[in-house]
Amino acid sequence: MSALRLISNRTSQQALSNSDYTWDYEYYEYGPVSFEGLKAHKYSIVIGFWVGLAVFVIFMFFVLTLLTKTGAPHQDHAELSEKRFRMNSFVADFGRPLESERVFSHQMGEESQSLFHFCINEVDHMNKEKENQKGPSLESNTHFHEAPKSSGMFEEDLHCLTKFNIPNFVNTEQNSSLGEDDLLISESPIIL
Amino acid sequence: ENISDFSLNITDCTQVVVPEEVFFTVAAAGILENLLILIAVVRNKNLHLPMYFFICSLAISDMLGSLYKTLENIFIILCKMGYLTRHGDFEKKLDDAMDSMFILSLLGSIFSLLAIAADRYITIFYALRYHNIMTLRRALVILAIIWAFCAGSSIAIALFSYEAATVIPFTILFPLMMFFILCLYVHMFLLARSHAKKIALLPSSTVHHRTNMKGAITLTIFLGVFLCCWAPFVLHILLARFCPHNPYCACYMSIFHVNGTLIMCNAIINPMIFAFRSPELRSTFKKMFYCSR
Repeated sequence: MSALRLISNRTSQQALSNSDYTWDYEYYEYGPVSFEGLKAHKYSIVIGFWVGLAVFVIFMFFVLTLLTKTGAPHQDHAELSEKRFRMNSFVADFGRPLESERVFSHQMGEESQSLFHFCINEVDHMNKEKENQKGPSLESNTHFHEAPKSSGMFEEDLHCLTKFNIPNFVNTEQNSSLGEDDLLISESPIIL
Repeated sequence: ENISDFSLNITDCTQVVVPEEVFFTVAAAGILENLLILIAVVRNKNLHLPMYFFICSLAISDMLGSLYKTLENIFIILCKMGYLTRHGDFEKKLDDAMDSMFILSLLGSIFSLLAIAADRYITIFYALRYHNIMTLRRALVILAIIWAFCAGSSIAIALFSYEAATVIPFTILFPLMMFFILCLYVHMFLLARSHAKKIALLPSSTVHHRTNMKGAITLTIFLGVFLCCWAPFVLHILLARFCPHNPYCACYMSIFHVNGTLIMCNAIINPMIFAFRSPELRSTFKKMFYCSR
């Protein structure tokens, strides 16, 4: 009988708490829950959830590392120069590799010097041609960029212009280089 | 009478209580860290770029999450000390407002991560047109739309939090966004891998697999941290809606405060894996601290 009274007290309390608003550490009013006759451990959902989450994260990690080891390079060598700088900055931002960065920067240093002289000439050349070709070159430029498997020479020209205009990863003077945006997009490519 | 049928063993699976000192320390650390990032981005003109604005958006949503938890704890303490009534109408409205702040923080985090991933994606795959695609104004417009949507949804969810119609979309949105972000990063990752392979073919290069291993580790950390910090809470909401009286669910829901602390830990970890990786931001911090001394 005392148990019945206890139950009625609790249920009336619960009814009271449902109608009135209480602010308590017991954030949710769960009400009476019976823990009799549990087949599995009572924290089974907690354990199962965390184990599942850990397995998923580890699985994701292994899939990503597998991606590094499998697959064959199918793009041609000509694109290498165009995307190498992007790859360098991408990797630099993602993983900060120490040795490979030195290798990259060394290679880039040699290449950038020669490209730099090339670019100076090209930029001067393009300035003259800027007035002539503006409209249709925009379409051709976007088309060329969207199809990455294009001729290597064109990629190198654009690549040299991008060196002055790399977003985000490299600390160039972004504000000053914005003026070269129009130059970059509206220029027609100079094919050697 | 069969008393065993009516046994109310609510002492099993009691609420796991996180000490208040731990709570406040973690929350304060999160708020301070993200505030520092906001100040650094505002003060340094070089950081007025779309990428940093998205990082700022993430910092704001993290700050909101920590702020919510702090305020909630303060109010509960005030309630216990008797300054606030427990049954008032004002308190209910306040609690609804704070719930919506919390959901705003969660939605803001998800969409900020999405924006950061999309920004990086455009940087990699549309590098030449990046400045035209992602202008500063467009970035601000995107952020305004994101935050307006998050604010609207959070208020709607807080008001109708007991309807199944709000809980289900909320819990579906979470894994959907994670999956989309994962796809973006995997695609970027594949590109980096193919380039690493090509560079390895060069005669003078000495690229190791360690390069891409670090990329894999970084990616896993990005998404793993977010998942581990937010998924427990999302599961809690699901269980609270659909099986509050099941003993297993009740035991899961008893660790609610641990889940809340995890969310605040996310606010501390996020700046480390997003903001502090940028050398420009780090140098701004150094200048801020050394100049003030």
